[in-house]
Amino acid sequence: MLDILIAILIAGFTTGALYALATVGLSLVWGSMGMLNMAHAAMLTLGGYSAYTFSTTLGLPVFVGFTGAIVVGAIAGGLLYILIVRNLLKNDKATFESNVMIATVGVGIALENTILLAYGGQPLKQPISATGSLVLGPVSLPYQNMLIVFVVIVLMAVIALLLGRTRMGRAIRATAQNRDAAQLMGVAVNRVYFQVLVLSGAIAGVCGLMVSSMTQLSPPLGNDPMLKAFIMCVVAGLGNLPGAVAAAFGLALLEAFVQYVAGARWGFPTLLFVVIAVLIWRPAGFFGRLQIRRM
Amino acid sequence: MSNAAKPPLLRLANVVSGYSELKVLKGISFDVAAGDFITVVGPNGHGKSTLLKTISGLVPLTSGAISINGGPTLAKPHAIAALGIAHVPQGDMLFPEMSVLENLLMGAYLAPSKAEIDRRLDEVYALLPKLSDRRNQIASSLSGGERRMVGIGRGLMMGGQILLIDEPSLGLAPLIIEQIYGVIAELSKSGRTILLVEENPARVADLANHLHLLDDGAIVWSGPPAELLARDELLTTYLGG
Amino acid sequence: MTQISRSKGISGSARLDLLVSLLLITAAVALPFMVDSRYVLGQIVLALFYATIASQWNLLFGFAGIFSLAQMAMFAFGGYVTAMICFYFGWNVWAALLPGALATVVFSLVVGIACLRLTGVYVALLTLAIAQTMYLLIVTDTECFTMVGSICRQFTGGAVGFARFGDLGTRALLKGQWLVGNYAIIATLFTVTMIVTYIIVKSPIGLAFKALKDNPGYAVARGINRFQAQLLVFGISAFFTGLAGGFYAAHFQAIGPGILSMSQLMFIIAITVVGGVGRFWGPLVGTIVLVGADELMREVGEFRTLGLGLIIAFSILLMPKGLVGRAGDLARWLRHRSIAGPGTKLQENRAAAVE
Repeated sequence: MLDILIAILIAGFTTGALYALATVGLSLVWGSMGMLNMAHAAMLTLGGYSAYTFSTTLGLPVFVGFTGAIVVGAIAGGLLYILIVRNLLKNDKATFESNVMIATVGVGIALENTILLAYGGQPLKQPISATGSLVLGPVSLPYQNMLIVFVVIVLMAVIALLLGRTRMGRAIRATAQNRDAAQLMGVAVNRVYFQVLVLSGAIAGVCGLMVSSMTQLSPPLGNDPMLKAFIMCVVAGLGNLPGAVAAAFGLALLEAFVQYVAGARWGFPTLLFVVIAVLIWRPAGFFGRLQIRRM
Repeated sequence: MSNAAKPPLLRLANVVSGYSELKVLKGISFDVAAGDFITVVGPNGHGKSTLLKTISGLVPLTSGAISINGGPTLAKPHAIAALGIAHVPQGDMLFPEMSVLENLLMGAYLAPSKAEIDRRLDEVYALLPKLSDRRNQIASSLSGGERRMVGIGRGLMMGGQILLIDEPSLGLAPLIIEQIYGVIAELSKSGRTILLVEENPARVADLANHLHLLDDGAIVWSGPPAELLARDELLTTYLGG
Repeated sequence: MTQISRSKGISGSARLDLLVSLLLITAAVALPFMVDSRYVLGQIVLALFYATIASQWNLLFGFAGIFSLAQMAMFAFGGYVTAMICFYFGWNVWAALLPGALATVVFSLVVGIACLRLTGVYVALLTLAIAQTMYLLIVTDTECFTMVGSICRQFTGGAVGFARFGDLGTRALLKGQWLVGNYAIIATLFTVTMIVTYIIVKSPIGLAFKALKDNPGYAVARGINRFQAQLLVFGISAFFTGLAGGFYAAHFQAIGPGILSMSQLMFIIAITVVGGVGRFWGPLVGTIVLVGADELMREVGEFRTLGLGLIIAFSILLMPKGLVGRAGDLARWLRHRSIAGPGTKLQENRAAAVE
């Protein structure tokens, strides 16, 4: 019984860590720009395939592959801003919201299919992974899982420091909380948006690498994490980063338990029910601030 | 061109601005010289806030020129802030999830060095000791008066050349308003250039050296505040007695 | 932002619409005589379905500003209810179409009520979640509900769906020309949908939708009940979409969870965006362009999805008003030039200065 519980916890924590990473990338962009990046999934996939290319096709060391995923993701985020988002920002808020969603849907489809055309549809093995486990008595902790959780924790710490302690991070938060006031303080919000997308892209790159090391590398790799990341962002509340991380772990554990109890196919529907319930009864999320709409 | 050898700190020339097709300001011209305390009064909804927002760049300029120290008219708010326009907006517009200290630090976003930031922070704390007491408190949990003070403190942290203050008495109890104006009076005394929007001219009668009466987007009267208060017909026509 | 859109005289644009309609009807009637290929006619029928769905999504999103991602769920709901009524109760397809549409309306009202307090992306996410849930519940349904012969059938049809539950009756009536018959039926469906949509858009209800989209505060202040209007537009949009779903099931004599896929939804969105969001003729124009492009890209099959993605992204980026919007701009520009002559500077919005 205990070993089943441990196995569920390990699985839940690992997927929780992965979702947390995906969610942070999404929440950052959503919170500071009001933009739902539907291309996030494709950027995850891009990260996974970049690492694969660096490691396998080019035969470079693992470290290069890891860094490569981050760099390629960052570049993708930057390009997304320069080519698409920057032009759409000229509209008012409501138009921007829907237009950028549609545009990133298009970009996401195009990117995913480009990867499909370039690498083919059959799943590949992500070489950047660890094998074997640490055995502590009855408990067997796979190194891969521990590595993922470790990497995610380190990344979270870096992001938290970046946002909390640096001038750039403060500008990002200020822009998210009151864009006009940030401008009055001298913040070039366009540059902030660029930075946010680059950061989000880098995070997505690593996330994709990590996800593919757990499962497999295939073009629709990012779709599932992205959808779940949306759910977790909503449950936590718009733009709430710590809340999103908490929601990610919480919902991942819930998913793991439900899958064990009721079967694998009930995992995702459970999350969907949760988000539907949240959107109906607590649209601001569990931790979010309520945007007052007196209409 | 101008009589003075040096261009004024701020010059508005035939400024027209508004929101999409609706024009709120319909041709505003005036100067602000260094050390001035200029106040703009007028009925609500006739452009006082829009005037400050146009100067700071939040509202786009349709036509006319706004020059700072004789320079060209700029469009982007952050560039205008870099030139020394410190706008303390109506309703504070604080960063709700940041602490008082972080709000103040955001004010010093463009400051050149940490030493400079610390220096300004000391000044602000000296002027507004309550901010020092509550420096780690989250902005959204502050009272109305405290928020107003944070807003002013944040504007001061910008170290700008002109302080634009939009309705500092809005929504506050009379006692708090007195405190706020006490702070503003001190700022003026120490030589700061201030452009202030106020609903009630009586409050600034002793402080401002010049007043513009704004009605329906145009300046209908200019002069010393004391004179306005003596002109009953202006008071009743524009400010409801 | 409040955009006071000036119609160039009601009679002017209405006259244009009438002219276009007459031309289209003439073309539609002539079409089966000019098209020999069964394949092409079949594709045209499919395109008519797309156009119908897109016109209703356009009503919901373009005119009323509700970004719903559940349009295909509505379509599927109508199709499934119609198919299931025929399958389980043995009704004739024609009798089951209206119940299917009405059931979809009920479904949409539930969704609409759930969305009442939400705006923008939240509506998109909730409707997406609902649509995804519907898809998953169907696809993972493995329990045997009934036995057909020795084959296990699930209640919702499972991943296989429903088939052989009846058809529109054209095969019996027209024998070899049944496709032409179906074409006529679906074309009529599209026409009726467009006419009703036109009436709604031009009516006070339609103006209320637009007001709520463009300036909700003002609209509410003027007495427009946002909740009622939102439920109304959900219901109307769902009725025609669900009805189309029923006809779809009847025409293809099959319905399955495939229509709930993301790519189908994206296609509808792409059609509306390319044609012009919030423009009456947008969905039709978009359908013609995209179905045409799709056919052309069929040669380079594997690039098809990539092409679709690029088209969506570039359309919204470069042509946010869509083709119809651009055509309107061009007409306006030409007219302006002929009246005012060169040298007239249009009041360019320096709103770009805010950023």
